[in-house]
Amino acid sequence: MSTSKKISKKDIGKILSQWSQEFTVLVPSKEGNVSKMARWDGKDTRFMDSHRNTVHPVKANFFPPMEEMFSFQKNKEGYHIEPAPPDEHKLLIFAIRPCDANALAILDMAFKDGYEDPYYLSRRKDTVLIGLGCTNPYDSCFCTSMGGSPSDSTNVDIMLTDIGNEFLIEEISEAGKELVAKTEDLQEAKKADEAKAKKVKETSYDKVTRKIDTRDIDKKLLACFENKDYWEKVSAKCISCGICTFLCPTCYCFDINDDSFKKRGARFRSWDSCAFPVYTRMPMENPRGEKWRRVRQKVCHKFEFFPMNFGSIACVGCGRCIRLCPVNWDITQTIESVPEIT
Amino acid sequence: MNQESERKPRILGFLCRWCSYAGADLAGTSRKKYPANIEVIRVPCSGRVDPLFVIKALRLGFDGVLVSGCHPGDCHYQTGNYRTRRRMAITKKFLEYVGVEPERIQASWVSASEGGKFAEVVTKITKELKEIEPNRLFDDEE
Amino acid sequence: MKNSEIEQRLRQEAKALLEQGKVDCIIGYETGSLKFTTTPLITRNKDDVERLIVSPFIVNNLSVYLTEIKGKVGIIAKGCDSRSIVNLIQDNKIAREDVVIMGIPCPGLIDLNKIELSLGKDRDELDNVTRDNDRVVITIDGKEKDFPITEVLFDNCLECEFPTPREYDVLLGEPCAPVKSEVSKKTSIKELEAMPRGERWNYWKEEFSRCIRCYACRNVCPACFCQRCFVEESEPQWVSPTPKWQDNLMFQVTRNIHVAGRCTDCGECERACPMNIPLRSLTKKMYDIVDEQFHYKAGTDKNASPLLTAYEAAEVEDFIR
Repeated sequence: MSTSKKISKKDIGKILSQWSQEFTVLVPSKEGNVSKMARWDGKDTRFMDSHRNTVHPVKANFFPPMEEMFSFQKNKEGYHIEPAPPDEHKLLIFAIRPCDANALAILDMAFKDGYEDPYYLSRRKDTVLIGLGCTNPYDSCFCTSMGGSPSDSTNVDIMLTDIGNEFLIEEISEAGKELVAKTEDLQEAKKADEAKAKKVKETSYDKVTRKIDTRDIDKKLLACFENKDYWEKVSAKCISCGICTFLCPTCYCFDINDDSFKKRGARFRSWDSCAFPVYTRMPMENPRGEKWRRVRQKVCHKFEFFPMNFGSIACVGCGRCIRLCPVNWDITQTIESVPEIT
Repeated sequence: MNQESERKPRILGFLCRWCSYAGADLAGTSRKKYPANIEVIRVPCSGRVDPLFVIKALRLGFDGVLVSGCHPGDCHYQTGNYRTRRRMAITKKFLEYVGVEPERIQASWVSASEGGKFAEVVTKITKELKEIEPNRLFDDEE
Repeated sequence: MKNSEIEQRLRQEAKALLEQGKVDCIIGYETGSLKFTTTPLITRNKDDVERLIVSPFIVNNLSVYLTEIKGKVGIIAKGCDSRSIVNLIQDNKIAREDVVIMGIPCPGLIDLNKIELSLGKDRDELDNVTRDNDRVVITIDGKEKDFPITEVLFDNCLECEFPTPREYDVLLGEPCAPVKSEVSKKTSIKELEAMPRGERWNYWKEEFSRCIRCYACRNVCPACFCQRCFVEESEPQWVSPTPKWQDNLMFQVTRNIHVAGRCTDCGECERACPMNIPLRSLTKKMYDIVDEQFHYKAGTDKNASPLLTAYEAAEVEDFIR
């Protein structure tokens, strides 16, 4: 008895419309030729044609480049503080890539650690993730080395696999099962469809050719922490811009700043990056004033400190940092070149 | 009394300490009449004015900016005002290209003895700025 | 001269410089980790010079590294890069005798973004891209497609005035002529100028609402060498670190004015921008303003005073009351 379902590509518009009744549906979109997950316009389904992965990681939908935390105003009674209006949209993200879904799981850990971040978590709550397996990974992708794969469904609610004219559906979570159950216009999948999906997954896996070895990477990094020569060499061409951290799906550093307008003020938080020298600037001293220290921080945070605290590497292998770097600084080359422990 | 509305347009003036500021002083002591729309920041030399100040003034909602220094050849520091001239020339052209009305970026030479000229300059600039829209370039919500 | 011959000469030259102790460090290009991509090679090791390459994809302006590297440096420079080096010399950021410039006449670089846009394919999906004089041949899915260079070179290369380095110790290859072609960009400076002023402002408002303030534009720029940028000042805080369009635009406009007379139109800011903001429509305009008003072209004469520190007694004054 086969219970799995599939979606005909022709019916995507219909199905997204159904989902739009309950959710705010986000789909891969382009703004000024920069792709990101944004609200579906209710009509166009051509976004699927060119979607490999978005430039903006999906984190931007939960932890945006800037957000207002609260605003304040002085009136006759004193200061009045107004929290930012809660985000009550129930999000459904369609065609999220496995790496980005895995990255959200990493961010969840960070934003729940000790202090529960209300801004991130309120947006993240009740979000439904519809994953779409990659059939055409970039040459910068290395998810298979980071515990994922182009068809990894660990952190999505529903997984779709492209089998030509249809997407085969796999219900992963309870929320996913519920959603599939109440969705109309789905078709019954046949045995042949499942076989096809299996083949697609295998082929996609092999298309990810960039491989790194992360065995004992935390120990190796610990051992070479003071190896200035190594870090200087690795960081030589870095220009200390914020691209790799801002557009990393797992980087979560932020800055907080008060802005005043004519009659009120507001506190904003915005993305910050350990690549900037001012990130750690303080009176008298900047512990990461030199470039090699900043590059070391970035690498070690992802591959040494985060695993130490959370038991998982804070990199999913989406390859954005390699793809978007103006000087082609490549984290996989760095990880591969970390000296062996002697 | 609503001072805010009376002071429209608002002009920020950067006046050099040696010439234009003294000129403005003279305008006052000789009881020349000019609109009260200008707010003045005294600078050691017009050469101190980074174009950043001009843009910041617009960002803060001033309708116009006046940079004023000594006449060419009269700079207390010999060449400060020549440098201002180059800087303001490109600033004005460039901001116009980006979409800022040229009336908002103003420059003048006013010497310490030209109280009358200072009053005249401020009157003219105020008139010009009244003819264009108030500055909503960087319109924040309020 | 073919790229492979230039490469051979370059490697010999670089090796000799290191061996004879004339320089401590070589800055050049090597093959990058992605298809077609090249990446800066910064090395003190003479064995590494074998990795130096020359190709139509050597996009980086390497002079950005000069201010941070200690000791004498041998650097590879295209036309625009050499002018950036001259700027640094004019501004006393480096001494002429501390750099050995290996100049490469540059017939223009291939803009992979343009190819991606016109073919609707990403760069890693292309099989091959080769330059053949006035044409670029792109192989995709086994089929060859022919483009005139005017469609696939970077805009700044199409409008480049000085493809041959202005300053060098050794020139690798024969001097080459400028391409001198109209740019093929969607919104060119001309079109922007034809818009009503308010619309122009709104255009930039729209473009800069995408900016995430990664500062890649500033950090790839060899003219942006301030120890501390005004955006990072907190007392007073000139620009808010929150990436609102107002502050983004204010940052970029001020940056452009600050690098006036130093910008050599190398196009690195626009290329580096991950948010696809047409920054060159700002920088090139400033380049033109400087040229029109002061007949000054950045980095063409190492003995000239920098634009904003020099003056002539009689100069544009019509705007001053």
